[in-house]
Amino acid sequence: MSLSWHDPVYAAIHIANPEPAAAAALFALAQQFSPLVEMAGPRTVVLAIGALRRLMGSPAQITSEMARRAQERHLQGRIAVAANPDTAVIAAQHLAGINLIPHGREVEQLGHLPVTALPADPNTLAVLDRWGVRTVEEFCALPRTGIAERLGPNGLRLLAIARGEVHRPIKPQAETVNYEERFALDHPVDLLEPLLFLIARLLNDLCDRLRQHSRATTELRVLLALVDGSTHTRVLALPFATHDSHALLKLVQLDCEAHPPRAAIRHLTVAVLPVEPRVIQHHLYTPPSPVPERLELTLAKIRAMVGEDKAGFPELLDTHRPDAWRIRSSAPLVHEPDREFGLRLALRYFRPPLPAKVEVERGRPVRLTARGIAGRIVQAAGPWRTSGDWWTAIAWSREDWDVALTDGALYRIALNEVHWAVDASYD
Amino acid sequence: MYAELHARSAFSFLEGASTPEDLVSTAADLGMPALALADIDNLSGAPRFYMAAKKAGLQAHLGVEVTAAAGGRYTLFAESRTGYQNLCRLLSTMKLRAPKGQAAATEEDFRTYSEGLICLTHGERDPQLLLDIYGRGQVYAELTRDLQRSTEALNQRVLAIAGKHQFPLLATNGVRYAKPGKRELMDVLTCVRHKTTIDQAGRLLEANAQRYLKPERMMQRLFADYPQALANTQALSERLGFTLADLGYQFPLYPLPPGETIDSFLRQRTEEGARGRYRPYHEKAQRQIERELQLIAKLELGGYFLIVWDIVRFCREQGILAQGRGSAANSAVCYSLGITAVDPVGMDLLFERFLSEERGEWPDIDIDLPSGDQRERVIQYVYQRYGQHGAAMTANVITYRGRSGIRDVGKALGYTKETLDPIASLVSRWGFQQPGEPVEKPFEEAGQKLNDPRTAKFIQLYREIQDLPRHLGQHSGGMVISQHALSSVVPLEPATMPGRVIIQWDKEDCADLGLIKVDLLGLGMMAALEESIELIRTAHGDEIDLSQLPADDPKVYAMMQQADTVGLFQVESRAQMASLPLTKPEKFYDLVVQVAIIRPGPIVGKLYHPFVRRRRGLEAPVSLHPSLDGVLARTLGVPLFQEQLLRMAMIVANFTGGEAEELRRAMGFKRSEKRMIDIEARLRAGMTANGIDAEAQEKIVHSITAFALYGFPESHAASFALLAYASAWLRTYYPAAFTAALLNQQPMGFYHPATLVKDAQRHGVRVLPVDITKSDWRCNIEEGALRLGLNYSRGLRADVAQLIVKKRPFLSIVDLTRRIPELRKDELRQLASIGALNPLEDTHRRDALWQSELALQPVGPLLAELEPANGKSPLQAMTAAERLVADFAGTSMTVGAHPVAHHRAELTRQRVWRAIDLAQARNNTIVRIAGCVICRQRPSTAKGFAFFSLEDETGIANAIVAPALFEKHRLVLIGEPYLLFEGVLQNQGGAISVKVGRVTPLRLGQALMESHDFH
Repeated sequence: MSLSWHDPVYAAIHIANPEPAAAAALFALAQQFSPLVEMAGPRTVVLAIGALRRLMGSPAQITSEMARRAQERHLQGRIAVAANPDTAVIAAQHLAGINLIPHGREVEQLGHLPVTALPADPNTLAVLDRWGVRTVEEFCALPRTGIAERLGPNGLRLLAIARGEVHRPIKPQAETVNYEERFALDHPVDLLEPLLFLIARLLNDLCDRLRQHSRATTELRVLLALVDGSTHTRVLALPFATHDSHALLKLVQLDCEAHPPRAAIRHLTVAVLPVEPRVIQHHLYTPPSPVPERLELTLAKIRAMVGEDKAGFPELLDTHRPDAWRIRSSAPLVHEPDREFGLRLALRYFRPPLPAKVEVERGRPVRLTARGIAGRIVQAAGPWRTSGDWWTAIAWSREDWDVALTDGALYRIALNEVHWAVDASYD
Repeated sequence: MYAELHARSAFSFLEGASTPEDLVSTAADLGMPALALADIDNLSGAPRFYMAAKKAGLQAHLGVEVTAAAGGRYTLFAESRTGYQNLCRLLSTMKLRAPKGQAAATEEDFRTYSEGLICLTHGERDPQLLLDIYGRGQVYAELTRDLQRSTEALNQRVLAIAGKHQFPLLATNGVRYAKPGKRELMDVLTCVRHKTTIDQAGRLLEANAQRYLKPERMMQRLFADYPQALANTQALSERLGFTLADLGYQFPLYPLPPGETIDSFLRQRTEEGARGRYRPYHEKAQRQIERELQLIAKLELGGYFLIVWDIVRFCREQGILAQGRGSAANSAVCYSLGITAVDPVGMDLLFERFLSEERGEWPDIDIDLPSGDQRERVIQYVYQRYGQHGAAMTANVITYRGRSGIRDVGKALGYTKETLDPIASLVSRWGFQQPGEPVEKPFEEAGQKLNDPRTAKFIQLYREIQDLPRHLGQHSGGMVISQHALSSVVPLEPATMPGRVIIQWDKEDCADLGLIKVDLLGLGMMAALEESIELIRTAHGDEIDLSQLPADDPKVYAMMQQADTVGLFQVESRAQMASLPLTKPEKFYDLVVQVAIIRPGPIVGKLYHPFVRRRRGLEAPVSLHPSLDGVLARTLGVPLFQEQLLRMAMIVANFTGGEAEELRRAMGFKRSEKRMIDIEARLRAGMTANGIDAEAQEKIVHSITAFALYGFPESHAASFALLAYASAWLRTYYPAAFTAALLNQQPMGFYHPATLVKDAQRHGVRVLPVDITKSDWRCNIEEGALRLGLNYSRGLRADVAQLIVKKRPFLSIVDLTRRIPELRKDELRQLASIGALNPLEDTHRRDALWQSELALQPVGPLLAELEPANGKSPLQAMTAAERLVADFAGTSMTVGAHPVAHHRAELTRQRVWRAIDLAQARNNTIVRIAGCVICRQRPSTAKGFAFFSLEDETGIANAIVAPALFEKHRLVLIGEPYLLFEGVLQNQGGAISVKVGRVTPLRLGQALMESHDFH
């Protein structure tokens, strides 16, 4: 069976591969045959192949070449060629193997398919189901006027599609920009300098691409395939959007120094997450703050020196546990401190708390000894009891006292389980 | 002496973690002389608090933390009855004018209702204002020491204010739970309230576990620097003179004609009624009525009877069926007044169960009314008669039960819905927990590791949260009425339904405190009976008077003896059907027993099988003890009724009438377990004193405690048996009208409409499909046949259906849509798919669907008047299988052949028996049965056995699945709509069932019948 070259000819490819990367590979495959490729579904493309006649021969030859190349890319596909894009798509999606549907024989070839094979909205399909219309052929048998009266223009269009009567141009897909670069090394690299050299090249390309498409990035991903078979993955989240390749390279360098891969590298992938670029209009009276890129670099340097969890932004925890806080990598939202009543004394915390010896008489502390502190307690307020996290393995319970010594000094002391400590002094 | 005067209970709804009873018992253990309860914005816990305190010998002071519109809360205590009434009025005023959850009192409200109240200040509001409102000596400065710095800072401010304004100090612990261990539950409740998890709640949680009831010596230590604050607790406690014993409630006075007294008027009404009821008005009845009237007069209860009579009279005048249930049916006066329908004289019922001199409480009269609009009319009549604030519905305290406990505790502990759903479903699906069944079971079955610390906490808290109040709902029918405004007796709240008001107490609280309650209960069967009578009148011209039905009709009983009872009141369940062929009721009293015997009480109490054996003559009717022979003779020596149990207690343990009454209250009361233990000890002691041996004691106690949750009075069974008989009689002689009425009253009863229709068809009723040219909104009788109503076209709105009925006839589908533009697309399509439009176009369903789509297209004004071409559609008619699917999808039933009938040939080839043929099968042979599952049950009383009812085109076959087989095929058994069972046929005296050995799912297409599962 052959198709007439007098009509426009369209080929559709539908793949069974479920992985998202396969869709990109399918699109790339289609682009090898035509610049005009339409994504007709998440795993279906349709393209005009009329112009390939002189170049590649008959539709059968073209489809066989398509099948060969799809196989090369490990794409499990079905291919159909028809005189209009919609028929080609329906056939590719529902008929196994390679099918060539001649113009005028669409109903004959697709008629046995369920009516759900047609690109109809759920409401129309529900109406057809109620009508007992189960196949494309049954649908095609309905009178055009009857359909027009009942299902309106959409119904008519669906009927035309089912009968292979819709002739329309391809709606080409816009080019998808790739923000990922890969590099396979001939020889494994085990030194930082040559690695950074390669990363710099890839980053330059990626940042150029970001700039070309008016984009910046807030996330840089470096994947290093190592000779021992493992993968070293680093994700650098940036608190600002940038396309400055130098700043990004410096961050990668600091990160690699802090977290070196455990084996030599044989393959390298660098990817950036494209986002809207940062637009800053500084306020006239806002005090200048460090450029975010530089602040992040400085923090990265400090973290590389002291450890990941030891530098960042302090954040008070929402708990009754006194002096509970943690380090966050990004700045927390700043809340106004809770205003309680009256004036409050300033507390100066000892970090870590000073182990102490406390003498207790009739349930009240009477003498305190700790490093640099010793004296009789002349006044004690308390005990102040708090406890919490009872639902976890780190349930806690403590008893605090505020004590005044003979020398007039005021301290906050705490009994944690059985250990006394001086937590803080009052200014 | 220290008394805690500021305690919240769980009736603060998520802001307190202990029940009033727990608070009282802890306070009593600590030797406190008094305790004051102050929940947030309500007095719902007050009756339980008062009753518990009364029992424990504690003074129960009442207060409320009232939310102020200006922010914060006023803690107010009732010093006198005036104070209490003001507190109730204050709460009612603020609650009735605001949407639920947003009530707050204004300064004006506080000023208006200030007399007799004492206010505590914790330093949070203007002290001068408090002084202005409540007056000198009426404001106390509250000091609380929960060992937190912030509280102590507040105390400093309180002290300053107290010093300046000369407020006496008062030490409290601001109690939120009885014991320190409940702090964890308090935290969980806080999470529920704030809709957060324990990990996210942060400082919303308690800072420590100090807000519990502390012993006096601990409070002395804490307030060593302010001993006066502690001493003032005693002084204030002495001032708080009000208790709920001094409620000041008065039952409304019935308006009497001049010259009449309540008793004379009641006597006249009773005599009038008795002459109508008793023909002739024989001496025995006269004697009984006289005895009752004298007692009623002595107890000054005449007014109450007249009020109930007035409601029943209203029903009669309005043509609303009304029938008293419960113990009122023991009274010949109630029978004469038309309140009840059972003749207690003829049935020799025990009047003392209803009313006795020593009981000292109002009798309980419950009235069954047709559910729906009719019942609402009666409720509105009561509102109208006694005023918006003179009558109110009782509340229903919604407490944490298995499933809600799992959900709320689990969510608070951070478990996801996906984790909680399986646990919750296991709790709810198997209903109540078996006695002795470990609480961990559902957790374990849902795959939770019990040794995981968080799971262990979950289980612990789940256990603790059980029975804690969650929120107030509305009781289904309890109404309280009062001579004066109820709002000064108990706070009122708006109900969800507009025009309704509820009180903050539940019906048990009302009974405890002597509030008169009339239960106006909606009963689907009453509505069905009423509608049946109407349908019979219209269709057949016959006038049916339920009180004059022929008694003991053999045809009716023959039907029941064959377990042919689908749709009948009380005797239609699977368990009843399994029992009826054995007990073979022959007369009305047999039916009374039948209604009472298939209940968890007799089954758990192991009374069912002895009774059945005795009924069948297989066992001698011997009583539990020779002394009980007289009491138990009517039920063949087996105790079945509460009345019998009371008499038993009086005989075997020398209980007085009062004690017997206490026993009854403990039995019928949900929160009765503790009371039951207490009373059981007394029962045993009495029996020992009477020389009853341990074995007999055990049997007697067992049969009595079996009624702990599901007691059933004989009079109540008799009232229900009347309805059961009426339903059976109507179904026997007017099956079409009766079924039509049942279909119109859905949902009700045990079976799905599809089963009701199939059963009616098997009884020769012709059932006609929904037809737009003939169907009314409701199912109706059409030339002797049952015509399904438009109410069975799924999704069709009632008002649109009424328009259809009003505006027909229609010329065509287009004419229909043009004249009823309100008809939506989905409604028209549904009507077409179920064949309701076929007669309109004289065509098949697909044609109608084809025409409908045309009719649904909007037509411009230019073409609006044009008649469209009316050609036949090109569509194929539906096949029988397609029609079946469309019928079930559109009407949830079919009037055509049963789904199983379409597959009979294949099933016969597989040697599957029809349900109707099983009676011919030999006992203990292996048979196969198949059908759609119309009922799945796994009652807690059945030790894991599951019961299935399979329906085919000939009837219903019952099957029993053993626990091991059930576990093995759980998914198939629970999920498959059609099943094939193979097993041993058991025919015990006509009660046929199959003990299943093999289970196979049947794939019979998409027509899905709905099953009645796990009740």
